[in-house]
Amino acid sequence: MTTEPSLANLVVKKNEPPVGNYLWEDPPDEDKFSACVHCGLCLEACPTYQELGHEHQSPRGRIHSIVAVAEGKIDINEAFEDPMFTCLDCRACETACPAGVQVGALIEEARGQVRQARPLKGWQGLVSRFFLRGVFPHTKRLHTLGMLTKIYQKSGAQTVVRKSGAKKVLPDHLGAMEAIMPDVGRPVLKTHPERIPAEGEQKGSVSMFTGCIMDVMYSDVNEATVRVLTKNGHSVEMPKQQQCCGALHVHAGDREMGKKLARENIDTFLEADADHVVVNAAGCGCALREYPELLQNDDEYREKAERFAEKVLDVSKYLYDYGYRAPEAELRKRVTYHDACHLAHGQGVWDEPRDLLEDIPGVEMVPLPNADRCCGSAGIYNITHPDMAGRLLDRKIEEVPDDVEMISMGNPGCMLQMAMGVMNHGRDEAIVHTMQLLDWAYQLEGGETDD
Amino acid sequence: MTEKAEMVEEMIRQLGDDAVLHRKEDLLTYECDGLTVYRGMPLAVVFPSSTEEVSGVVKWLHEHEIPFIPRGAGTGLSGGATPFGGEVIISLVRMKRLLDVDYDNREAVVQPGYINLTLTNSITHKGFYYAPDPSSQACCTIGGNVAENAGGAHCLKYGVTTNHVLGLEVVLHNGEIVEIGGVPDAPGYDLMGLVTGSEGTLGIVTSITVRILKNPEAEETAMAYFDSVEDASYAVSGIIAAGIVPAAIEMMDEIAIQGVERATNPVGHPEGSKAVLIMEVDGIATGIEEQIEEMVSVCERHNVVDIKVAKNDRERGRWWANRKTAFGAMGAISPAYLVQDGVIPRSRLSEVLAHIADISAESGLRIANVFHAGDGNLHPLILFDARNEGETDLALDVGSRTLEACTAVGGSITGEHGVGIEKKEDMRLVFSDEEIERQITVRSVFNPHNLLNLDKQFPKPARCGEVKQAVGSGEAHQVAEQR
Repeated sequence: MTTEPSLANLVVKKNEPPVGNYLWEDPPDEDKFSACVHCGLCLEACPTYQELGHEHQSPRGRIHSIVAVAEGKIDINEAFEDPMFTCLDCRACETACPAGVQVGALIEEARGQVRQARPLKGWQGLVSRFFLRGVFPHTKRLHTLGMLTKIYQKSGAQTVVRKSGAKKVLPDHLGAMEAIMPDVGRPVLKTHPERIPAEGEQKGSVSMFTGCIMDVMYSDVNEATVRVLTKNGHSVEMPKQQQCCGALHVHAGDREMGKKLARENIDTFLEADADHVVVNAAGCGCALREYPELLQNDDEYREKAERFAEKVLDVSKYLYDYGYRAPEAELRKRVTYHDACHLAHGQGVWDEPRDLLEDIPGVEMVPLPNADRCCGSAGIYNITHPDMAGRLLDRKIEEVPDDVEMISMGNPGCMLQMAMGVMNHGRDEAIVHTMQLLDWAYQLEGGETDD
Repeated sequence: MTEKAEMVEEMIRQLGDDAVLHRKEDLLTYECDGLTVYRGMPLAVVFPSSTEEVSGVVKWLHEHEIPFIPRGAGTGLSGGATPFGGEVIISLVRMKRLLDVDYDNREAVVQPGYINLTLTNSITHKGFYYAPDPSSQACCTIGGNVAENAGGAHCLKYGVTTNHVLGLEVVLHNGEIVEIGGVPDAPGYDLMGLVTGSEGTLGIVTSITVRILKNPEAEETAMAYFDSVEDASYAVSGIIAAGIVPAAIEMMDEIAIQGVERATNPVGHPEGSKAVLIMEVDGIATGIEEQIEEMVSVCERHNVVDIKVAKNDRERGRWWANRKTAFGAMGAISPAYLVQDGVIPRSRLSEVLAHIADISAESGLRIANVFHAGDGNLHPLILFDARNEGETDLALDVGSRTLEACTAVGGSITGEHGVGIEKKEDMRLVFSDEEIERQITVRSVFNPHNLLNLDKQFPKPARCGEVKQAVGSGEAHQVAEQR
């Protein structure tokens, strides 16, 4: 069999206007995908392409597929859904892209279309709806879930489950997750007053976005963040009406709920009217900063979203830009730093957290090779795509230098994932948030020891 | 069972389920490489992980007379990895291991899917690097570099890929595995030279031994701005005439500068600059200062507006990132671009650039110029919008005309991007029909049934008078007339 090639037949005559097979609101934006010239510089930045080597599992390939649907060449089917959802939404491609193509936003828009065309069915749909619609949008229910977890841990039930091997009925990756679940404390949104004054001379005032996972699973990180901010002369306000940021919803293609949460948060924080909204969870911070993108077709909220997004800063960048004092006590630790994707690639924050850590006397920073490659957490990716998430986690942990004592980062999803990685590999590095290290260093100034 | 189904079943049997793509949706992303104006659908894409697997696949395809295309990262700019329709693509991206590094003999052995820049990154701690540095080096494969005989900014001093390849393992058209080269100046014909740059038409390279170089003791980089492309061109000629051998001299013109400044890696080129030169000298530390000073004074003689020397490696890195991402940066100012790859004698730079500017004005398409000025390798970037009826054809035509402008002054149609699909017909600008036929005869020795990268690189020899108008090659006219 040989083909009879004809050059003229291969020339792309005209790309049809992108109406194609996107039938719902918010289709992938033509202005965004037409900026991609197919150069391929994103390829080696993409963790899924590095693992699989498949073009359709690369940023440029995914955009190619998105355009193909827009042009009506392919349908929204399983074959389209797979690469859209195998993407980690880690944004490493956006750092690599010479033309500034917003790959993440395109993928999220495409996922919105996929979920409209192909709603999740069966138990997947049930679980997804339960969490995305039933729990996360309702702070009280989320806190109740946290409390139940706490009861599970404190009542001895966890010990019973772990010893009895009952968790063996869970799929492997969920069992591993159960094993690394941190001791759940009480959310700061419940325990702290609405306004916490600065210590000493007031240098600034901020509103704090507490996050869902962060506040339920890592309330100690939130407590540390409040202490570090107030210690540095910044008063902290915690608007009690704040909601989940909606990142998980947008990632999962539930744009409607994502937008609803966005509008509520915008109203809440604009009313509080602080100069800055600080966040210590990279995933949330990135989502909040992208509200204008999410609400681009909302005439009522577009401008408000822009005003709000301009205020949002990761806490490490806020401290770095608006004043902090290096701790005086020594914290003798060898530390490496892992870039959360949504901090480095999503918000362009690379050096600030590293500088904060380096400023702690006694801390020795050890570089982590490929520090900005995704650990596989990616929101709930490690639950939906355990195989790929596990491969990326293994690579990540294998590159952690042998002699570090702590791995610092700025995102709760990464913290859970890395804790699981350290456990699976039989290692004992402590997983910490950058704010926790700073907090400990300040506490040591009171004369405590660094054990 | 259909022919395709049988083939897919066999490939899965040989390579495994996850190493074969055959659904339309997945194949669609393989319809083109870095050149997007030509697209064709492959029959399947397969991902062998070893030389033996490549051999097995090739043997079967050969027996069943199914044409096949080796593919690296798919960053090529001439459509070398683009199917006409119905070929099987053999992707080599899963063969991406560094097999050996021999620092004493300054050699490294890599698999074809190994990334160009990764080699340098893997040996830099020992003070070594791999010299050929195409702008896509962060993502292109060394196998692809061999196929295209890739160049790069620093090829002015260090030569192109063929000057750095020492040995190859090749799977021939029937699946047979052979090794060529391996020792310097091997007796017999220079098969390495023949295979390097053969664009996948002579065999599939499955292992490559390359030369690695010791990092230069010192390097200095300067950036110079000019009020006209002419002044910058004369400065380039002046520097070479002064006897300096720069590691690189790169030029970007006004539109290119606008593009890179609006993209991801801006460096603050002054607005309104008509041309910028990035010049680098490297080598032993002694004399580097003098060379940079001499380059500065040559630029001054040619009305340089501003010139600065990189303060440190970080600044040098930023300048190179700005230059090396220039093609992709066109996305910031145009929905599509077509890049050409003409070569001209350095002394004719300003003349040819003026000619290209005329072509741009006549066609109404903007042309940005980003190129290796030091070795006269032009890269006119023709900016167009495929959504406008007929504009793709116009861009292709403009591309061919820029090549004619190059061959008219004794130049050539490709410096480093290869011929592929894109410049097949333009081969007639530099070769007569008879010369093309002779080369196809050589190809037939390795690729007798034209299954390996079917019909790439050479046009069908013109018979019955169907000769494309050939400019700058009187001979082609004569041959055509004789027929």
